[in-house]
Amino acid sequence: METKIVACPVFYLCYSQGDKKWFKPMFDFDDDKPTSKVNEVTQQAKTITVPEPTEEPIKELTTKNIIITDHKHWMKSFEPVTVEDLAIHSKKIQEVEEWVKTVSNNNNSDMLLLTGPVGCGKTITIHVLAAKYNIRVTEWITPMDIDIPMENGEFEYKQKQSAKFLDFILNAANFTSLLDDNSRKLVLVEDFPNTFLRTPAEFTEVLQQYKQRAKSPIVFICSESHTDNKNSAANIFTPSLKEQFNIHHIMFNAVAPTNLKMALKRVAGIINKKHTAVYNPPTPDLIECVVNSSAGDVRSAVLNLHFACLKGGSKLNMDTSVVQGKESKSKTRKKKTSSKFMSLGKDQTVSILHGVGRVLNPKVIETETGNNKLSHSPEEIIEQFISQPVSFVNFLEENYLPHFSCIDHVDKAASALSDADFMLAEWREKLCQEYGLYTAVASLMLANKAPISAWNPVRGPKNMRIQYPTIREIPLLEENQLYKGKILVADYETYCKIIGNKPGT
Amino acid sequence: MSLWVDKHRPRDLMKLDYHKDQAVRLKSLVQQSDFPHLLVYGPSGAGKKTRIMCLLRELYGSGVERLRQETMNFTTPSNKKIEIMTVSSNYHIEVNPTDVGIHDRVVIMDLVKHVAQTHQIDSSGQREFKVVILNEVDDLTKDAQHALRRTMEKYVATCRLILIANSISRVIPAIRSRCLTIRVPAPTESEIASVLQVVCKKESLNIPMELAMRIAKSADRNIRRALLMCEACKVQQYAFTANQKIPEPDWQQFIRETASMILSEQSPKKLLEVRQKLYDLIIHGVPPDMIFAGLLKELVRNCDMAMKCQIASHAADYEHRMRLGNKHIFHLEAFVAKFMAIYKKFVEESMGDAF
Repeated sequence: METKIVACPVFYLCYSQGDKKWFKPMFDFDDDKPTSKVNEVTQQAKTITVPEPTEEPIKELTTKNIIITDHKHWMKSFEPVTVEDLAIHSKKIQEVEEWVKTVSNNNNSDMLLLTGPVGCGKTITIHVLAAKYNIRVTEWITPMDIDIPMENGEFEYKQKQSAKFLDFILNAANFTSLLDDNSRKLVLVEDFPNTFLRTPAEFTEVLQQYKQRAKSPIVFICSESHTDNKNSAANIFTPSLKEQFNIHHIMFNAVAPTNLKMALKRVAGIINKKHTAVYNPPTPDLIECVVNSSAGDVRSAVLNLHFACLKGGSKLNMDTSVVQGKESKSKTRKKKTSSKFMSLGKDQTVSILHGVGRVLNPKVIETETGNNKLSHSPEEIIEQFISQPVSFVNFLEENYLPHFSCIDHVDKAASALSDADFMLAEWREKLCQEYGLYTAVASLMLANKAPISAWNPVRGPKNMRIQYPTIREIPLLEENQLYKGKILVADYETYCKIIGNKPGT
Repeated sequence: MSLWVDKHRPRDLMKLDYHKDQAVRLKSLVQQSDFPHLLVYGPSGAGKKTRIMCLLRELYGSGVERLRQETMNFTTPSNKKIEIMTVSSNYHIEVNPTDVGIHDRVVIMDLVKHVAQTHQIDSSGQREFKVVILNEVDDLTKDAQHALRRTMEKYVATCRLILIANSISRVIPAIRSRCLTIRVPAPTESEIASVLQVVCKKESLNIPMELAMRIAKSADRNIRRALLMCEACKVQQYAFTANQKIPEPDWQQFIRETASMILSEQSPKKLLEVRQKLYDLIIHGVPPDMIFAGLLKELVRNCDMAMKCQIASHAADYEHRMRLGNKHIFHLEAFVAKFMAIYKKFVEESMGDAF
């Protein structure tokens, strides 16, 4: 029972419906698209809507509409359809389900806030649960409000963004679509109008209106990011606001690897059943690799799986080259995805700690020729690591000592760190940074011939801000003199204390 | 009551206690109507600032001694507000640009511009230029030094710079060539001793020559430290005796403890403890080069000649790198590790010989 009601001019229709289907071209109009005006409520499922051919006799499946166009809606076909399919922790689902159950029975304007990292399944949980309880979900999608000049060159003034938003959610909450006899409704807001990010006070007003006038629950979904200024959940939904409107807050975590693996196995099952024409059946190794590189993000995991399983261009060269190519491809992809997440600021500290661990506990493996080789070469570690080299070297410096047992090895390592610092100081030369990092990483990995293997918690580098004493801390100094911090410490401090403590003064 | 150091500071060029011929030359320099930018350098506690203040007094009269403290605010290009303490009189302004770390360039450019743009209203007043005193020029970033060189030329009509440095090796040649460089060497031990005696006489105390010499020796030819030591000695025990205890600075004691830790055991674990000590010293504000020198002096005491040579050469290496690098602790630690490795080998060999 999933329908999207879109409040926007037809010009944007394809865009809004293409939401989450990135592969759909933006200007791919269908001729039969209704020409509606602003604020006209249009039903979106207007292309060929065919019920998915069912392989399991589940009620939800039969009611679910899947749009099949010329494009391959593989993402859609892999979406979970039952609650059991969700890759989210069962307790979390239960929590949301309880809420949905309670609110679906009364006509109050209850509010729910879902937060969590990207791709952890917030939206799909709501959709799946709504389908289960037969609730119609209406989602707000912020229209692009570019002013289109009229024919005579004048601009038409549009409604204020927040007013438009309020109208929409009230209509969606209170009025039932003609095409649907279902009385239970739920409003979903994931795409917050920009104006609320700028002036949260406006949002408070809207909520107040909604609370008074609406008769359906509303769900807000916010993706969390680590940087505070982009965290809409924290900026809009302040604790006081949550208290004022009695907003129920459920926090999602990143999907656990085991759950993710289950989900991907399900996807693999679907591939094996229906899509063997497009995909190679994924092997367990491949799934493992995808799980490791996606950091608890289901959506990106499915995307990666899609990419990894795609068949090569023609079937002819599939046998020999693709097998080998797949091997290397999966490797490079792993690197790519992990670095991509780091540049988004996600899990950065974790990967620094990971890197520190790899450098300080180097694993040596024996190759076929009998030579010893590091399992993670210094180049590999450096390549996977995107952050300031200085901060990584500082981490290494702070933590390397407990891993060493012999002072001779320490001597080599410390000397190399000193070299590295010397190189890193030359910040104008990009190459110097790399060399510095390489020197530090490689020498720390190679210098330690007799490592101690014990549990050593990784500590962050010390804050080396020098704290000079202030003039007031030291007695007897002249008020109107300018003292240098160095000299205060080196000369005055000790003696002024002795002199100042003179008995009788 | 103020410290002896401040109380008995010479105020007139002619009353300086040592480098007298230099003082005479400075006087004649000022008596000309104009003088160039100055770069005064010499070790800490040699009397650079004293000499400069005498010079300014000669130039402007006693008005330069009416000092006031001000906090000036600057805004960096990245819109960060920084503030810095300045001390000024009607004729000059003094500042430590290194107090603001990497933003020193902004301070130098804005401050000099600020001072240079305000002309002296009272043109009958002695000079048509003001003086800006910049401390610790050798610790300025390269950026700031380059900014300085441009500023120096531009505002030469209305303002004179007096730069103070410990060593000119880290001042860029462009600045060196634009200034009259004046070296103020550290006073000799006997010069310090005689200053101590003069000061004690003024305080109507009597100090034995031996004690004065001992203080001069342990003060490292630093006259400020010598005077402070002398006063501290007086507080601890008056009626000076020739061999009374001379209190040494806290940090020297601390370095000595650290050195004995290094000598007691050579292991990574010990190094970890030593690092903690070094951290303490650095955070407390003891200049890293002084830590280096102090450590080296204590460590080589127990070494034979060949090893001394080896250690000193390594120390020189790491100290040089420390000046070029960013993180002082890296290089201090590398030096300690190097010493530990060498010393351990030495001990093991001599043990082997014994059996």
